[in-house]
Amino acid sequence: MADLGRAALAVTLLLCVYALVVGSYAAFSNRRRLATSARNALLCAFGSTLLAAGILASALIRHDFSFVYVAQHTNRTLSTAYSLSAFWGGQEGSLLLWLLVLTGYGALAVVVNRRLLRDLVAWVVPVLAGIATFFAVVLVAVASPFGSQTTPVDGAGLTPSLQNPYMVAHPPMLYLGYVGLSIPFAFAAGAMLSGKTDERWIVATRRWTLAAWMFLGLGQLIGSHWAYVEVGWGGYYAWDPVENAALMPWLAATAFLHSVMVQERKGMLKVWNMVLVALAFELSIFGTFLTRSGIVQSIHSFAQSSIGGWFLGFVVISSLFAVGLILWRLPLLKARTKLESALSREATFLYNNLLLVALCLTILWGVLFPIVTQLFRGETRTIGRPYYDFFLRGFGLPLLLLMGIGPLIAWRRTSWRALLRALAWPIGVAIVAGIALVAAGAGSSKPGLIAYTFSAFVLATIAVELIRGTRVTGSLFVLISRNRRRYGGYVVHAAVVLAAIGIAGSSAFGHTVERRLALGQSMKLDGYTLTNRGVRVTSKANVVETRAILAVTGRWNGTMESGSNQYLNPPEPSQEVAIKTDWWRAQDLYVIADDLNVKTQVIYTKVLVKPLVNLLWIGGVVFLFGSLIALWPDAREQRRLVTRLAPARA
Amino acid sequence: MNGAALVLGILLAAGVVVVVALPFLREPQVADDRLDAPTADEERRLTLREERDRALRALRELEFDHRTGKITDEDYRRDLGPLRRAAAGALKRIDDAEPPQE
Amino acid sequence: MPTRSPARLIIALSVAAILAVFLVYTALAGDSTPQLTPSQLPGHAGKVSAVGAVVGPLVGDSHTAAGLRFGLKNITGSSSVIPVVYHGDKPPPLFTVGRDVVVSGSYANGKVTGTDILTKCPSKYQASKPTA
Repeated sequence: MADLGRAALAVTLLLCVYALVVGSYAAFSNRRRLATSARNALLCAFGSTLLAAGILASALIRHDFSFVYVAQHTNRTLSTAYSLSAFWGGQEGSLLLWLLVLTGYGALAVVVNRRLLRDLVAWVVPVLAGIATFFAVVLVAVASPFGSQTTPVDGAGLTPSLQNPYMVAHPPMLYLGYVGLSIPFAFAAGAMLSGKTDERWIVATRRWTLAAWMFLGLGQLIGSHWAYVEVGWGGYYAWDPVENAALMPWLAATAFLHSVMVQERKGMLKVWNMVLVALAFELSIFGTFLTRSGIVQSIHSFAQSSIGGWFLGFVVISSLFAVGLILWRLPLLKARTKLESALSREATFLYNNLLLVALCLTILWGVLFPIVTQLFRGETRTIGRPYYDFFLRGFGLPLLLLMGIGPLIAWRRTSWRALLRALAWPIGVAIVAGIALVAAGAGSSKPGLIAYTFSAFVLATIAVELIRGTRVTGSLFVLISRNRRRYGGYVVHAAVVLAAIGIAGSSAFGHTVERRLALGQSMKLDGYTLTNRGVRVTSKANVVETRAILAVTGRWNGTMESGSNQYLNPPEPSQEVAIKTDWWRAQDLYVIADDLNVKTQVIYTKVLVKPLVNLLWIGGVVFLFGSLIALWPDAREQRRLVTRLAPARA
Repeated sequence: MNGAALVLGILLAAGVVVVVALPFLREPQVADDRLDAPTADEERRLTLREERDRALRALRELEFDHRTGKITDEDYRRDLGPLRRAAAGALKRIDDAEPPQE
Repeated sequence: MPTRSPARLIIALSVAAILAVFLVYTALAGDSTPQLTPSQLPGHAGKVSAVGAVVGPLVGDSHTAAGLRFGLKNITGSSSVIPVVYHGDKPPPLFTVGRDVVVSGSYANGKVTGTDILTKCPSKYQASKPTA
């Protein structure tokens, strides 16, 4: 079966090369049947990739250890669900997943748009095929999932900390995001190659971009949540290069989602949008390069392998391609209208974009710094957390404020009077909130206080928008369904605000205490008293669990158990923290017990109180909800689009 | 590779070849092999329709923004005229380009 | 009234403002830490991130004054073993002899005094050895 898998991937490669070469020729020389043939090749490439994926999935479920990949990432005792998740647990399998999603998305995008944008799609096919060719080459020549061996007795198994529902969902969700950014990029390139640089490619790919952006955001939140509950250092984001690798394209895509609205209405920012979509795509590939090459030190550092060079080469070539295209088509990308006022919605989108891209590039600089210093000074230097925190506040807080002001400004221009009138209530709410917060002790952290106050402001503006809009349409449901993009967007803004409150609360207003406790000794933090009630060791089938038992009294009465697990197959340890969510007080009590001495029953414990941290996860749910509203198909809009674009054939 | 997988592989490969060659199998001889791109006429009509949709949308948004208080009465009165003229102009250009059906 | 589009001015001022913030920050607080292998450590003084493989034995407790003591050598190639004294949170469970780690702290008198350990996750993309 491994042979069939290898053959299927080889067929995918051939089909992609065909679609790339023949598709380019067909688009260039205006040949319909040849273009359709190239498109069919891309569809078949999805089919053969699906076959290869099916073979690997089946081998994983069957624990067929004659497959090297299966032996490396599963063993006999691993459940079916986790065995399947091992598909993306390793280098080769995750690349196959990437190619599967890419060809799948590509096939769907080309088929859906085949009638609406025929001349553009003729160029989209070879661009998508080009990207797919790269991944197919890597899978066939460099990192094949179908290596065979004489069957060993058992496999190596999956790392215990990856045997977790969050870690199962995290990579596929991220890939649906990363790969999804290839679609708008391919359509943008197709627009430039075909010379059709108006807004049609944006309208056609609007939902693709939104969906990819949604998946990328959710994937990161899932990863953060896993880090919080599983890895257990008390935080959820470490500004690790691999974490940043997902954040950077997401920020670029966020900027893009906003600025396309300006191009759709005003025909402005055409060059900027081309640059943004290319930046988002290149960052998604660069991100996976960082993750796989081992070029920067990271907690996610995988083996340093030669594959990094391939990805770097692809980033360089595709970047040159994109830049070349934009420079060539510059004359076609002239703006249709001009910016009329610094106080207009077009201008606020511009400010929003500048801040988002500035934050993205700042993070990129921090990630590249070790590589740059090594190249130019011969010495690797790293930038620490304070750098990222400073710029997150420096760019993030103004962005937060802008989220509140922007929606209240009209297109073309708004007078100061109208703006201040609209802002009256939200500013009032923010001032009251600020005073109340200072009275409650939030003045201990200025950035935290500012974040809270800005958040109150934004929530007030969203409420005002919804109330005023409902007054006009009569019902909230009608209001939202008439303009799903706008109001879905407002819900997403609310989600971002919730996340901002959660981040501010847990980082600026948290407390920590650590102590060594003998049996019966206690420690206090924020109204909680924790007492060491001993150490317990439990042996189970595949694991030995060591736990410190802590009795908690005060704000909450109960028992918490924290410690570590030692797994037997594969033999690896893991940290097990205890988290108690106090919904009433909106905070988490987080206990890390390490250094457990079974003989003396002495433990070393670090206890953290993290206020409002759960707003981050709740914000994630609201984010999903808002994105779905914005994504929801609009029958009226669809009909309008179809009658507009479908030609009146004589 | 065992026999069944080999047969399956060959069948699939044959299927792929057929699908890729399908456009030529369906239309061995064809009068017009050019890409179905819109003609200059269609392109113009499409552009006009897009212009009309943009103008109408701008009018709708002006209306809504005024009713929700984002635009003052004076700004509304000032902007309404030009936007209405732009929309009317777009509609007229469409009518001129394609005479209404009987 | 047709006026020059403020777009260019807005963009120029914004970019200038952002660059100003950036420059001020890096001038005042731009502390970057050199990342060195054990063989590169001698000759350096002050803040450092040492990348290497852990050499046993592991002695002591990171929560005590004496700290957790171990050695660090180059991951690839040969080098002498640099002693490390680490204070702080107990190292992550994956920390053990032979693992590749990054120890952040300072280097003086031939010894690294560490305050943070980053243990590289060995699992993904690098399989552990299958049992024969």
